[in-house]
Amino acid sequence: MKIKGTPLSVPEVDMTPMIDVVFQLIAFFMVLSKFDQEKVDERVTLPKDQLARPPIVKRESAFTLNFGFERDKQGAITDPTPYIFDGDQKFTVDTVRSRLRQEAAFYKAIGRNVEDVTVEIRADALVQSGLVQELIQICQERDIEFQRFALKATQKSEF
Amino acid sequence: MKIRTGTNTTKIEMQMAPMIDVVFLLLIFFMLTLKIAEPEGDFDINMPIGAPAQSAVTDAELPPFKVRMEADPDTGELRQLSFNGIALGSGRGVFDVLNGEILKSVNALQAAGPGNLDRQEVEIDPDYGLRYENIISAISACSGRMVDGRMVRYISRIKFAPRREKP
Repeated sequence: MKIKGTPLSVPEVDMTPMIDVVFQLIAFFMVLSKFDQEKVDERVTLPKDQLARPPIVKRESAFTLNFGFERDKQGAITDPTPYIFDGDQKFTVDTVRSRLRQEAAFYKAIGRNVEDVTVEIRADALVQSGLVQELIQICQERDIEFQRFALKATQKSEF
Repeated sequence: MKIRTGTNTTKIEMQMAPMIDVVFLLLIFFMLTLKIAEPEGDFDINMPIGAPAQSAVTDAELPPFKVRMEADPDTGELRQLSFNGIALGSGRGVFDVLNGEILKSVNALQAAGPGNLDRQEVEIDPDYGLRYENIISAISACSGRMVDGRMVRYISRIKFAPRREKP
């Protein structure tokens, strides 16, 4: 008996939907990573400097303190008292201790040595230096005990 | 000879919709990678715990270079910058002068012996009311300078002096 087979056709792979999906995934993960890096507070106007460079080796443990002024939409200072901004909350230098204790307790709870954690200070260009020093001193107090500090600045272009 | 006439050719239709999809995705991709905000960098700094005597020698056994910064009590602007007790002046240009003084000291340190530079510290001693931007400028002047787009490092160990009292 003769069986007639259907003629074989070479299937064509349409690459377009795959490229679509791949780009969607890339965009998705980029947006995720951007949100992860957003520890900055737009109320803080950092000083500018040519030599300010990100660390060559990424710090394993670091947290950021945003220290600046309340500003209006035009960027003018509306309250002369500088605050440490933490999301929706804000603290003065005198009231930030409890928040720093919480942060130190968190690192201890996850088994990190507090002395290895870097405190990145994003202080406004117009803040008084004494207040920044005071903030560092509070971070070093007995029940908080952070020891590493980095002062943030915006990279000023050479041109 | 048999000549084939091209009567069997099929018309190729261009599908534009997938191409537009991909183009829009590329557009979103490059929009996300565009850096709108200026990049940030930082300077490592130490702060001694407690208030040691002013003349204390550091654990590096080299007396620190002292950068004293006096502020105008009303405006918080830099009124006088001194390096190891020598007044250098005020204004934005004074940080270039400080940078030059640090370079001289760095050269002297290197001439004195290898390894001295790594042990040398700079101590920044500002008035309480001084604007913070001046601190960053002073730290930068002590840290190094840019030459042809590359950073030449001077001193990396920088610390604050004990905090001065609020006036």
